[in-house]
Amino acid sequence: MGSIADYNRPTAPMRLLLVEDDPAIQGFLKRSLSEAGYQVDAAANAKSGEQLALEGIHDAFIIDLGLPDSDGLDLIARCRAQGSSAPVLILSARRSVDERVRGLEQGGDDYLTKPFALAELLARLRNLLRRRAPAAQDSARLQVADLRLDLIRREAWRGDQQLQLTPQEFSLLEYLVRNEGRVVTRTMILDHVWKMRIDPATNVVDVHIYRLRNKVDPANVRPLIHTIRGVGYVLKGS
Amino acid sequence: MFSKAPERCTAAWRIAIWTTLAFAFGTALAFFIVYFVVEQGFRQRSDAWLSGEAEVLAQVAETTPRDSLYDRIVEEVAELATQEVPGERNARGQRLNSVFFLQMNPNGGEPLWVGPGPKEPVLDAIRSAQFSSGIPQSLYVSGWKSSYRVVARMSSRGGTLYLGLSDRDARHMLHRMMYRFIWVWCGMVLFGFLISYLSARRTLRRVERISETVSKIGSDDLSTRLPEGHTPDEISRLAHTFNRMLERIRTSVNQLRTVTDSVAHDLKSPVTSIRGKLEVALSSPHGAWRESVADAIEELDKMSQLLNTTLDLAEAEAGALRLNRSVVDFSQVLGHLLDLYQPAMAERHHTLHASLESGVAIDADLPLLNRALGNLFDNELTHLPEGCQIEVQLRSRDGSAELAIADNGPGFPPDMAARAFERFVKGEHSPGHGLGLAFVDAVVQAHGGKAQVADRRGGGAIITLSLPVAVLQNV
Repeated sequence: MGSIADYNRPTAPMRLLLVEDDPAIQGFLKRSLSEAGYQVDAAANAKSGEQLALEGIHDAFIIDLGLPDSDGLDLIARCRAQGSSAPVLILSARRSVDERVRGLEQGGDDYLTKPFALAELLARLRNLLRRRAPAAQDSARLQVADLRLDLIRREAWRGDQQLQLTPQEFSLLEYLVRNEGRVVTRTMILDHVWKMRIDPATNVVDVHIYRLRNKVDPANVRPLIHTIRGVGYVLKGS
Repeated sequence: MFSKAPERCTAAWRIAIWTTLAFAFGTALAFFIVYFVVEQGFRQRSDAWLSGEAEVLAQVAETTPRDSLYDRIVEEVAELATQEVPGERNARGQRLNSVFFLQMNPNGGEPLWVGPGPKEPVLDAIRSAQFSSGIPQSLYVSGWKSSYRVVARMSSRGGTLYLGLSDRDARHMLHRMMYRFIWVWCGMVLFGFLISYLSARRTLRRVERISETVSKIGSDDLSTRLPEGHTPDEISRLAHTFNRMLERIRTSVNQLRTVTDSVAHDLKSPVTSIRGKLEVALSSPHGAWRESVADAIEELDKMSQLLNTTLDLAEAEAGALRLNRSVVDFSQVLGHLLDLYQPAMAERHHTLHASLESGVAIDADLPLLNRALGNLFDNELTHLPEGCQIEVQLRSRDGSAELAIADNGPGFPPDMAARAFERFVKGEHSPGHGLGLAFVDAVVQAHGGKAQVADRRGGGAIITLSLPVAVLQNV
């Protein structure tokens, strides 16, 4: 099995600006983002971050709110005021809904609270970058290896065998297939499939995956759904 | 916010009632003292006249020889004496008969009588009373309207001489005084009541304004202050005290937020970087480390969950939760959550019975509500032994949405049910951290609702949440 970043490699090289004062976080983010195929410029404070941002060469910003010299929100507001339109992913230690709303109002495009899973950061980043790109053809059919999904009739087939899925299981499978080859965390699944920002202390999501896997991956077939322990799940064809 | 209390329940009303009662009692007491003094004055005057006249009559009776003219002379003198009494004749010159004179005959003959009407009732009354010579006392004659003051004089020549003066005038005057006082007293009491009620109400209005303003000051708007007024009276001081208290609350809420933020920042940053590094390590090719790294990440996730819940709870308990409310269908919210939790419950062989009354709308912060309800279902999953029955019931009753989650598990450990919503209170063998129910309680309270836990009679536990029902719009 390769690195997580491998599952998340973007199609074209993108340039990111990372503004984060904690050297440890900056270090591993820089490394992981580079491994995922991004070009990363990093700044440790708002002032140098702003200078880099104004060069206008970045496709997206990742900005931590707790910066030593100024509030991250001010930095975003200043960048927006100077005409920068690149999407902004906010990192924050505060996770109240209030903070989130303020962050998004001030010009942030997405909000991620610490501590976060790398897979989720990459997924959100990818979403932000895709939002800017022309929308991909939304086909009525999805296919991974011999797993086929008909999105209109909401039917799923493995080889020539139709899968008996509940509507919920179908949504879950659709989400996994749409993120084929990329790791999704439990939080991401709850957020996208159930539209809930909750943090269950129990294995509720795992049970759903377990049931789905029983249907999608019968005993004698090569499995598609894999567990990445400590991170989440991935569906991949090869 | 403030329902109008019935008038008789207000403090102004009670104050007015009590002050008026005290005032009425005080003035009545003062009047009766005056009444008593005046009555005494009248009596002393009439007693003095009686004693003097009786003296004169006694002297006349003693010095006059007992012959055939004796009766006539004494009668004449008595007649004269009665005419000295002021008001003895009314405006038309008629005698009002306010005086009588009676001399007992020592030889048992006919008594000498000068006075109104027949003498027999007077004789009867005098015989039944005990008189000592020269000391006036009251005499009630049967059939007569007013009482008499009567003085008796023993004559040295035998026989007793009685002179009586009617109390009628004094009585009349005192009665007139009494009537007038009652009228004036009623007026005064009414007027006093009005004055004290109005002034108390005026004062208490200011107090009510203060309490209304204070009740409107929510945790998200602690900057509002009360007007303190110009005169430095008690109420201004109350407003001032409130303002100082608000200032202290604002300071401590701000401090709490600062502490929360810095704890969050100080702890979350290292957790983030550790987690990130572990994730990087997880993706490196050294397979031997993989298991322990994954374990470490999972433990770390549990730790950050505890950290998050603690901070959320601190925020909620300080009343610092700002709700992003919207009207939602409670039964849909619950149905959605149950869809999520049902497989995990089935995995542990629990049977789930849900009866959700549809269309019960509440005005709630959906993410917070979801987290609170998720906590409750997590609780059921972690605390119940396998194969239990879980009943979820939602219904609307008296303007509130009532959600009951009941199970037939072991129930709460003894003495825990009462404190289940406190922080870090949990069963001895509970795997949780004891923050879940505290968070549920804080969220429900922030929504103006109430959470309760209890043991069920047939075994098991029941958790009830009641939230105010909202009007469902655009459905």
